[in-house]
Amino acid sequence: MSDANALAAQLSSTDGGARRAAAERLAQMAEAAAPAAAQLVRACGDADEQVREQAVAALEDLGPPTTEAIGQIIQLVAHADPLVAYWATTLLGRAGEDAASATPALAGCLTSPADLSVKQRAAWALGKIGPAAAAARDALGRAASDADPRLARLATEALAAIGA
Amino acid sequence: MRPRGTEGATPVPHPRTPLPRRVATWRWIAVALPLGVIGAARAGDLVPIRIPANAAASVADMPPLVPIVRTPPAAVAIRSLPVAPVAVQRPVPALPLPPMLAPAAPVAAAPPPPVPAPAAPPPPPSGKPTDAVLIASFNIQVFGEAKLAKPQVVDVLTRVVRRFDVVAVQEVRAKSDSVVPNFVAAINADGSRYQYVIGPRLGRTSSKEQYTFIYDSTRIEVDPSSVATLPNPGDKLHRPPLRARFRVRANPPEAGFSFWLVDIHTDPDEVPQEVDALADAFVSMRSVSPEEDDVVLLGDLNAGPPQFGRIKQIPGIGWAVSGTTTNTRRTKTYDNLIFDRTATTEYTGRWGVLDLQATFGLPLDKALEVSDHNPVWAAFSPWETRRIAGR
Repeated sequence: MSDANALAAQLSSTDGGARRAAAERLAQMAEAAAPAAAQLVRACGDADEQVREQAVAALEDLGPPTTEAIGQIIQLVAHADPLVAYWATTLLGRAGEDAASATPALAGCLTSPADLSVKQRAAWALGKIGPAAAAARDALGRAASDADPRLARLATEALAAIGA
Repeated sequence: MRPRGTEGATPVPHPRTPLPRRVATWRWIAVALPLGVIGAARAGDLVPIRIPANAAASVADMPPLVPIVRTPPAAVAIRSLPVAPVAVQRPVPALPLPPMLAPAAPVAAAPPPPVPAPAAPPPPPSGKPTDAVLIASFNIQVFGEAKLAKPQVVDVLTRVVRRFDVVAVQEVRAKSDSVVPNFVAAINADGSRYQYVIGPRLGRTSSKEQYTFIYDSTRIEVDPSSVATLPNPGDKLHRPPLRARFRVRANPPEAGFSFWLVDIHTDPDEVPQEVDALADAFVSMRSVSPEEDDVVLLGDLNAGPPQFGRIKQIPGIGWAVSGTTTNTRRTKTYDNLIFDRTATTEYTGRWGVLDLQATFGLPLDKALEVSDHNPVWAAFSPWETRRIAGR
């Protein structure tokens, strides 16, 4: 088991100190923390602030998730905690075309009452997936006329990336 | 290797004529700072001073080091900047600069001050050069209570800051307002006199970050009314930069190098868009103060010079850090100081990356406990050399 996998398991500990230590260590690992991506996304909803902040720091630096983790991350796109959903959508966008199977979930974000930050990232992620996210055209089209200028811009850019 | 950005950095003679009156009369102005907090922390003096966003004048909340004089009818409190503590005097042999990964370019000799400096209390034994001011950027990863609770980490962080005159910090992440004042108190535990200004919590999610400038008040002064978060047209920047205007303490005061610092931490997932937005921000900064030609954009750009996009199209633009890495793992070039080389002729050509491992003898895992970024820095003449030339 890799160091990252062991630390990922530790993120589920009932011991807050152990979770904090695992998240902090993963935040120091940069891309080597990628195998723990799904667990780190979940940790963004941890009750402990230090765990959440270290998890965010780790997620910022770990790059795209492993292909094996994409299925787990898709399950978190509609999470009730906006920070969890935000990072799930972010990682799926980083995965690009490899996350094509996330298109329905991401399009669902755009039409749901999700947090605005999640909707914006969902539009961005669909653009990163590119033509393989063609099924999201309708949702993106509606988002492109949203009152929020950032969401509208990101949706417009995603439509351009997906193409006709 | 000669660092990029040295061309055009030859100092010009010090101006013999007085600077514009507007420049020469900086004052502490205790009016509302819409988006900032100013503080002056020493050991045992830990309370941050927050200036309410809607306050016309909030004298009760001003830093304890700023005496207040009410001045009718504007209901603002004004005090002239102190002149006495001249931290920059006649050029003397330079003290050692922080170790660099890149070799230094020849030292630009500071021109003599226009009038002899009066006797003044000596500055604390900081080890800083007297012929240059050192401006640094440091992303202190997840800088919050947990990091401050580690004495060995705080020891390194305080020793880092004491090497520089101004440090632009990124990634203050804490619900508490005590982190930066407690940190500055730790810096000042050796008798140093650092102060700070800090911006609001920024970010699109519940995970917020703050920028802060920590500066050596014996050598540098800040215009409190200048501290603000930059506008963010089109919401292109996840964490819009914090700006503040500083000046080197000198005699006469207006002879000191004055400059804007613009502190930024880009979103790693939207670097191209954010870098281009920063190009616009840089250009707009040059029109904020017509009398100020020096703007230094510094921070964690999550990009090296090849990814600088429209920033590279700004005429005269240059950057200090090039050809080396800036993260603690020594794999990425993310941090830099960017300025107009034709305007900021005070740049001496000296710059560096303070390698945490090499400087403090730390193994990688211990250095990473301090931060995943190394501080980057550049040296500037303490004397203002030119104003609004060519603009």
